[in-house]
Amino acid sequence: MPQMIFDDEDGTFGLLRDSVSGFAADFHGPTRMRARRAAGSDLDRDLWAAMADAGWLGLSIPEELGGSGLGPRAQAVLSEALGRELISEPLAFLAVFSGALLSQSDESAARARLIEGLIDGSLVVTPAVQGVDGALSPLKAVATQSGLSLSGEAHFVNAAASSDELLVLAAQGDEVLLVAVPRALTTVTLRPTLDGAQLGRVALENAEISADRILSRQGLTLAEAAVNTTRLALAAELAGNASKALEITVGYTSERVQFGKPIAAFQSLQHRMVDMWADAEFACSAVVNACDRQDEGDALAAHLSILAAKARAGDAAVTVGRRAIHLHGAMGFTDECDIGHYMKRAVALNSALGQPEALRLQFLALERAA
Amino acid sequence: MAEAQQNWNAMPDEDFRQIFRTWADANCPAELRFMRKQRPLYEEVKVWYQALADKGWLSPLWPQDYGGMGLNPAKHMIYVEEWARLGCPRIPDHGIGLTGPLLLHYGSDEQKEFFLPKILTGEHVWCQGYSEPGSGSDLASMRTTAVRDGDDYVINGQKIWTTLAHCANWILLLVRTDKDAKKPQQGISVLLAPLDLPGVTVRPIPNLREEADFCEVFFDNVRVPVSALVGEENKGWTLAKTVLSHERIFLGAPTRPEYALARLQALAEARGAFNDPAFVSRFAKLRLDVYDLGSAFERFARVLRQGGELGADVSVLKLFNTELYQRITEEMLEIVGEEARFNDDLDADDIMIDAMNLYLDSRAPAIFGGSNEIQRNILAKAVLRLPG
Repeated sequence: MPQMIFDDEDGTFGLLRDSVSGFAADFHGPTRMRARRAAGSDLDRDLWAAMADAGWLGLSIPEELGGSGLGPRAQAVLSEALGRELISEPLAFLAVFSGALLSQSDESAARARLIEGLIDGSLVVTPAVQGVDGALSPLKAVATQSGLSLSGEAHFVNAAASSDELLVLAAQGDEVLLVAVPRALTTVTLRPTLDGAQLGRVALENAEISADRILSRQGLTLAEAAVNTTRLALAAELAGNASKALEITVGYTSERVQFGKPIAAFQSLQHRMVDMWADAEFACSAVVNACDRQDEGDALAAHLSILAAKARAGDAAVTVGRRAIHLHGAMGFTDECDIGHYMKRAVALNSALGQPEALRLQFLALERAA
Repeated sequence: MAEAQQNWNAMPDEDFRQIFRTWADANCPAELRFMRKQRPLYEEVKVWYQALADKGWLSPLWPQDYGGMGLNPAKHMIYVEEWARLGCPRIPDHGIGLTGPLLLHYGSDEQKEFFLPKILTGEHVWCQGYSEPGSGSDLASMRTTAVRDGDDYVINGQKIWTTLAHCANWILLLVRTDKDAKKPQQGISVLLAPLDLPGVTVRPIPNLREEADFCEVFFDNVRVPVSALVGEENKGWTLAKTVLSHERIFLGAPTRPEYALARLQALAEARGAFNDPAFVSRFAKLRLDVYDLGSAFERFARVLRQGGELGADVSVLKLFNTELYQRITEEMLEIVGEEARFNDDLDADDIMIDAMNLYLDSRAPAIFGGSNEIQRNILAKAVLRLPG
């Protein structure tokens, strides 16, 4: 069955996969998702604390900053495993995106505090960098005596209500700053998501921020890099989602008997499932390729490979998910059956930070410009 | 006489790549590069065939003791990649890829001694007599018979889709030697037969590209000696299915779609299609499909490089590859509008693009080597383990 294949000489990746399997036995992804949804919450605090205890939040933050420094392959393995188990807390944003922003920020006491809190789970640090169209969109910053006054809105903010700190972009003159904003200074409006969580619209109106909360004056560059790092984690999660949705469907159709035999014995279903399997295989190899391109010192190739992986894995997970529901028949359309939640999660992740069509057009434009 | 061979497998990959590339580039004539024909006849590519033969590089996989290069799968991939990159033509290779390996595994010493050197010199050009009019995907149902008569077998029946039979002088035949076997797979044998025997008729079949790649071959009381049998009588099915497993990766190599996409791009540039957002969207999808096919190919190639063996799952490459090749060539016709009515090549700023040729050519790979539906059947059983 599909899985990302990496060399794993010291067994790190195998351990990581085992650790997620064990975790999922205690925290069943779909069950926790339903509970979170029923509570109208945007973060499962207990689950998040357990993920911190498992050591997953600082996986790709450099060791000298207190993280594990394991790099993109380990992050992909973890994200793939979470995708398989439908553990749907927004690790890609709160750990990967925020971790990438903070790791590249200037050294400061504020940064040290945020990174430490992010890794041990005591602070929920969420990126709030997107505009209403999803693109990176800085707030307005006005200089004050003690620092900045920020106004504007950020959209699609994960765990906005549960967060302690928001990482925002703020335009000041020609510069785009990266600034840490206490959530208490913002107004959060929530909307429910397809995957049983909430996304926040975050409004700031003349919020007074002290100068020591400015983390970098290269905010846009940092955010663009963090978007790509996060896309890779999302791609891995989507590949895991697709692989597991296929496996569940193979299992179900092999058990379900109609006309005196398992429905998986019918050729029309077999060919559909082979195509689903091929989609998942291609998603896995696209993510592996992207991981391999990250440390080769070719920035364009590294960027292109991520665009390709996110597009491929997103398409695969959504397509596999839709077909999986269909092959489950009416059962697949119930809220009680997990398979539909794989599809809903896939659609949500696929839509985050660029849908496949947009990513492909970006790939082509970059390649043709080179 | 072919040159003596080195221990290629001990050589660093890049050195081997350089050596093969440099030599092939110098020895494969320009007019044979990127040929329009997918399956040229022996006479058309004889120069290249003989250059390879003289160099001892005709049979990359045969052991060096038998005149091959003795390459491992990792080195073989480099050989194939460079061959494709330089646009060298395919040669009639059934002797090298089919008869040779079969004899190396199952042939008698006499058969090896007699046949193998003649493949290497080009004296024997082989074709593969498997499919019959009533036995395509269901090959085991074939009906061509060979009946023992004294020291001979007498062959009667018909083979079809026999690639390049009209330029071959020998055929590797699957025949039914036991009509009463319990299962159709039992009772099949492998025979080696020259094509100039009385009772053999070869008739080329023009294809949609108005070329004759494949033929019908008729057998009317054709007598071959019992020494023509390879392996045991009635055990031929297992032999016939012995294709070196790693070679199945090449049915999925991204070479063909990459080549077609480059042609589409040239055509699109010349016709201004990149100004059309709808085309750009479709092209981006095709480009990414080719890119991702490369990533998937690498996933399997890595297994071979690390000394592993490929499973049935590798045929996912063949499925994706052949269907992508079709979609790319379909797009070529889409962007030229009314000009798609013409059979000849299209002018793209003085580069001639053989769009129609590729469009028609792309129909074939989804059918041969086990149709894509057969591949899906195999994957459903062997990989997904779905119930029968």
